[in-house]
Amino acid sequence: MTQPHHTLAETLEAISDLTPEQLERYIRAGVVVPVQSEQGPLFRDIDLARLSLVVDLAEGYHLDEEALALVLSLVDQLHGLRGDMRAILDAVAREPVETRVRLKAAIREVRVVTR
Amino acid sequence: MADDPYKALGLGKNASQDDIKRAYRRIAKTDHPDLNPDPAAHERFKAASSAYDLLKDPEQRARFDRGEIDAQGQEQPQRHYYREYAESGDNPYRQPHGFDDLSDVFSDLFGGRAGGGGRRGGARSFDMRGPDQRFTLEIDFMTAARGGSTRITMPDGSVLEVKIPEGAHDGQVIRLRGKGGPGMGNGEPGDALLTLIVAEDPDWKRDGNDVETTLPITIDEAVLGGKVEAQTIDGPVMLTVPRGASSGQKLRLKGRGIRGADGRRGDQHVVLKIVMPPRVDDELARFIEEWRQNHAYDPRRGK
Repeated sequence: MTQPHHTLAETLEAISDLTPEQLERYIRAGVVVPVQSEQGPLFRDIDLARLSLVVDLAEGYHLDEEALALVLSLVDQLHGLRGDMRAILDAVAREPVETRVRLKAAIREVRVVTR
Repeated sequence: MADDPYKALGLGKNASQDDIKRAYRRIAKTDHPDLNPDPAAHERFKAASSAYDLLKDPEQRARFDRGEIDAQGQEQPQRHYYREYAESGDNPYRQPHGFDDLSDVFSDLFGGRAGGGGRRGGARSFDMRGPDQRFTLEIDFMTAARGGSTRITMPDGSVLEVKIPEGAHDGQVIRLRGKGGPGMGNGEPGDALLTLIVAEDPDWKRDGNDVETTLPITIDEAVLGGKVEAQTIDGPVMLTVPRGASSGQKLRLKGRGIRGADGRRGDQHVVLKIVMPPRVDDELARFIEEWRQNHAYDPRRGK
């Protein structure tokens, strides 16, 4: 379960467009939540990927920390739901054909409105 | 990536550094794979992203323009998108929102508690309990084994003292009551939930509640046996090394492991490792040579 962790300096090195002040503001606003340790904050791979996205969003759309926290929370929900949906689709795909057809019909009934 | 990074950004060779940055930002806005699921958008973003990596540094750009480096040669290690991590079920950033979504479907399917069902009613009244906040806390082996306390810095900058229970394990969650998000109206604040990560230790290996350490011994201790000091979680103890000990031999210290949930402690296994003196002097070499003449043995032969 132990993953490679990156220190504050390594993280700033890896994401060249991120300044120490920005990173501090993002931590303060909870946009990114690094792992706590005695040696200070540690960043996982997921935190680096998240910070890269944060930099692209912040510069592209001129978002401040509050807006970023909102957008990221929506992105998290979206990605989470996508992951859930993939899991359900995988589960459905393992079912026999009749079950899949029945599920398809049920979904169509609920989801596809015919006028 | 396209051979021509300028084309990937939709620019000509005489574009300014500002133009390059602007062009990349424009493409990131529309085609970022974390925002746009379209595969064609992904390709455009990938090309623009490596083009930007190459051209954003004026010196590197100049070298490319002079033909000293090519676009491929300077390609950065493949970028990992956030979605690669965020879609996994254990994304630490996905807070339970209590919406009527698929997470509820999952808890229904697998008999979990209805997620957030109790809290939803709270939205109607003005008093609402604050949200729980999740954090991850890394601790070292000894803090986990012995218990203790550590400090964490909350996002708002305040410092909290956290008690780590004896025998804490990887993935264990510690709840700090009332240290989460503030409540609304007269609602109580939520809790802070800390998920523990126990850092790997070069000297201590952990397997459940058992621990394993390596004890270096001298050749004379290996041959003659004797009492040797060994480290345990509770401090040093004197350990009896048997006469004729071999490297890799394990000695068990019962009850010197990690305290489990049932209150009993696991065992510590001490692996012996014979270490040669820093220098094999003439006296030792001569003695071993003489000894070998009458006592040769072959440890590689089957037992």
